[in-house]
Amino acid sequence: MAAISLRGLTKVYATGVRALDGLDLEVSDGEFVVLVGPSGCGKTTALRMVAGLERITSGTVSFGGRVVNDVSPRHRDVAMVFQNYALYPHLSVYQNIGFALENKKVEKAERDRQIRIAAETLGLGDLLGRKPAQLSGGQRQRVAMGRAIVRSPAVFLMDEPLSNLDAKLRVQMRSEVLRVHKSIGAATMYVTHDQVEAMTMGDRVAVLQGGVLQQYDTPRSLYDRPANVFVATFIGSPAMNLYEADLSTDGTAPTVVLGSQRLPLPPQVAARVAAYQGRKVIVGVRPEDLAVPVSGVSGSSGASSASGASRVSGASRVSGAPQAGASGVPQAGASGTPGLVADVSLVEVLGSEQHVYFWLDATPAASAPGAAAAAGESAQEGILTGSAPNGVARLDPGSGVRPGGRVTFAVNPARLYFFDPDTGRAISD
Amino acid sequence: MTASTLVPPDAAGARPAESRRQRRKREELEERDAVIPVELYGLKRGTVTVLTTCCVLFAIFTLVPIAWIIFNSTKTQANIFGTFGFWFARPFEFFHNFRMLFENVDDDGTYIDWFGNTALYAVLGGVGATALSAFAGYGFARFEFRGSKVLFYIIIGSLLVPIGAITLPLYLVYSKAHLINSIWGMILPSLVAPVGVYLMRTYIRLSVPRELVDAARIDGASEIRIFFRVALPLMVPGLMTVLLLSVVGVWNNYFLPLIIFSNNNLFPLTVGMGLWSQHATTSGDQNLYPLIVMGGLVTIAPLIILFLILQRYWRGGLLLGSIAN
Amino acid sequence: MSAPAPTRPARDESRSRPRHSAWVRRRDRAGLAFVSPFLVAFGLFMIVPLGYAIYDSLFTSRIIGGTVFSGLSNYTQILTSGMFWSGVIRVVIFGAIQIPVMLAIAFFFATAFDLGVAKFGKAFRTIFFIPFAVPVVVSALMWGFLFEPSYGPFVHLASVFGFHNVDFLSNTLMLPSIITIAIWEWTGYNSIILYTALKSVPRDIVEAAILDDTPLWKIIVKVKLPLVRPAIVLLIFLNTIGALQLFVEPLILNNYSAGVITLNWTPVLYIYNTSINDAQYNLGAAMAVVLGLVIVAISITSLLFRRSKGEFS
Repeated sequence: MAAISLRGLTKVYATGVRALDGLDLEVSDGEFVVLVGPSGCGKTTALRMVAGLERITSGTVSFGGRVVNDVSPRHRDVAMVFQNYALYPHLSVYQNIGFALENKKVEKAERDRQIRIAAETLGLGDLLGRKPAQLSGGQRQRVAMGRAIVRSPAVFLMDEPLSNLDAKLRVQMRSEVLRVHKSIGAATMYVTHDQVEAMTMGDRVAVLQGGVLQQYDTPRSLYDRPANVFVATFIGSPAMNLYEADLSTDGTAPTVVLGSQRLPLPPQVAARVAAYQGRKVIVGVRPEDLAVPVSGVSGSSGASSASGASRVSGASRVSGAPQAGASGVPQAGASGTPGLVADVSLVEVLGSEQHVYFWLDATPAASAPGAAAAAGESAQEGILTGSAPNGVARLDPGSGVRPGGRVTFAVNPARLYFFDPDTGRAISD
Repeated sequence: MTASTLVPPDAAGARPAESRRQRRKREELEERDAVIPVELYGLKRGTVTVLTTCCVLFAIFTLVPIAWIIFNSTKTQANIFGTFGFWFARPFEFFHNFRMLFENVDDDGTYIDWFGNTALYAVLGGVGATALSAFAGYGFARFEFRGSKVLFYIIIGSLLVPIGAITLPLYLVYSKAHLINSIWGMILPSLVAPVGVYLMRTYIRLSVPRELVDAARIDGASEIRIFFRVALPLMVPGLMTVLLLSVVGVWNNYFLPLIIFSNNNLFPLTVGMGLWSQHATTSGDQNLYPLIVMGGLVTIAPLIILFLILQRYWRGGLLLGSIAN
Repeated sequence: MSAPAPTRPARDESRSRPRHSAWVRRRDRAGLAFVSPFLVAFGLFMIVPLGYAIYDSLFTSRIIGGTVFSGLSNYTQILTSGMFWSGVIRVVIFGAIQIPVMLAIAFFFATAFDLGVAKFGKAFRTIFFIPFAVPVVVSALMWGFLFEPSYGPFVHLASVFGFHNVDFLSNTLMLPSIITIAIWEWTGYNSIILYTALKSVPRDIVEAAILDDTPLWKIIVKVKLPLVRPAIVLLIFLNTIGALQLFVEPLILNNYSAGVITLNWTPVLYIYNTSINDAQYNLGAAMAVVLGLVIVAISITSLLFRRSKGEFS
């Protein structure tokens, strides 16, 4: 029995705004599930309906099999950390943490014990006498979590708790949040707009957009097998490059045609997209899957892909890019390996990697079907028309590409993503 | 969430054209969504009924004098004293009483003159006070000149001074400056509204971003230009509130005109009514009581109507007076 | 917005900017220019009369000998005057009863409206605010009619409840009657201010309290009330200043019940009678100054009292 179960959860405001449309989601006991999506996608609305703070238009919320639609938030045994922490400004840290215990009429001695334990866990031991106004953002956030710990809730909810912290602190606090989650041990739902948080923290991640669930999967699956163009471009940074393309044949070999360029497809890949043979598709290639031979090093075998090609190595847990060498990157120009020719517009040097913005002779596709016009517009807004970039690659710092130069990217056809041009859905086998 | 009351009404720009009624309905619904649903508070049964009843009782309490004045403005003096206070009686003298307002009763002066005076003082005084408060509020809000803080505190501190300490000596000053029985003697002091300055300063700080003013300065606009072109349009809701409060303040002012006017023709309504009240007991005039009642009704009617029309300005504006402390 | 981060960091630019920059100085002058029309009027119609009052209070006008400088003799006369202080005590009692009662009622309704527990909140709020549009003179007149001993409707009403021949405007009941009138006049205004203050309490704090299963009374008293303390302090302050200057209601009600309202019934009445009717401007001016100091003292004490009480809540 799932700890939290949402079925057909829908929220329509009195003004007609449809904030959430038929969400189906299950969270197991002890699981850390992240709801992620752009603003207005309905993730916070869903969370608040689970908490009981928002009236449910239709659908059900169940805890451990029991429908709680009509149960008051007071009795749902839910603890929540708000985006702005919602600390009681006139009470001290000690009183803030202990507030719920007072309501439960816990004995003073026991209350004191629990408050101190929670405070110690979060490193707030010295701050118990202070008021929220005297604390930093990170400290306030921890007090908010302390309030939740002390409740020992059945369900733990968090609404963008790290959004108000500066970037460095956010990264540090991620592990804090997970630690708190482990110590509470309850089913947790975490809302954020930051896909990096989602990918690094979630056991499973639900991607929402426009009130509709796009995909609910492990971070790895979201990255490797995005269900549609939205998920494909939302997960991973910089976003996946998308282009309009045709599937045709070069003689007998199935090919994908991007603008003036043709990429032959190996049989396994061709089989996957066989249904779309002869039709238009949207093809996606991640910036980290584009490679360039390191200047001066002649392309040997793909085995030494770490040095033989410029790729970006990934970060913690599952980040935006799988480890190099996982599926060796072929050299452009080596026999049978396809390449994409592009003109380099701009190179952003990040130190550990380079973001290379390029233009290639293909029509970029929008991240959502129907927004193609907007994508076209923004391409035309490029300051230097003709060389306005329509793609980006992540390369090693020593890749030797220069703005204004022409480069041939090596592309592994197995790492191409294909989507239906009308629905945006992934073309699967 | 709470900032919605501070946004000028026009800023809800890109909406499909909707009628006033539709917009009001939508705003009502949005308001309801913006508030915590009542059931979350865990109320006992019947609490809503009890509270609504309390509201009804207090509403009755509030309306009792108003109702009385409406009913009794239609009666003769005998009937005011004789018949049931909260219903009509024969003869129905409403129009007669109303006409009497246009006559000079007992040489006390004509009500209608008093009404005109009050309107004049209130409009000139109110508009003037609003203008001065707007300028001063802007000066305090968006400039930091030496002594501005001290000056502001002095201005606010003046609220502590009893009216007697200012108005009575004012009379003496006037007698030297020949301002006794002059309309300017009434209007000019009314221009001084410390509360208005406080409210405008608060409102300007919240609604005219410092960056906007700085950007205009960098663009080379003169300060006057900035005030009228950049700041003023953003201040409008605050201005309306201060205007409303100032007009009401001057309209209802009693002490100042009581002191400085001895000429009945210059009285505002407040002083005139006070005089009638005094004479009603001393003289035996049959007409005076109905006149007082009718006069009272006509005195309060315009303001109440003004309030009902300009509701949005006293709802949001007073918000600032309380939070920005 | 529950984390009380300052919305505008208090930038004390007047310290950090170089004072000698001509551009800055020109701007300062512009600022002063904006404030000057008000300051001129303020100076002429507030400071000057006030100064004149203080000046005048140091003189005494004699029938023989004209007006002579008398130093503080007016003040000693007032400070030892039982008549003056009995008036002061009366308004203090008036304020001490009227203000808490009115604020309690106002807070009660403001909370009811804020929680949305009473239906038709908007309509009620509008009705409650109507007395604010009524000049004090007119409200005193109306209530005078209602309370009038021989034919006033409230007298009838009282007899319905078993109290016969109640004289609302007698010596004993005059003050309670005026308290009733003041409550009628001011509750609506106060409740609107409290209502808007309550609404500005961040929603997520209350939601957090709900999730903590806080009972309603506790939410009101321990969560909302402390957060609207600034508004309450402001209201106590304003109401106190107003209450101590009680003038119009007794003046008008005097017409309905001769003799109850004495010349010195309230300090401002006494000042008025002394200055205008007795033409003793100097004494009146001195009284006004003393009253002003009393008001300042009481207002400041009430502020301090509120602040220290706040520390414990």
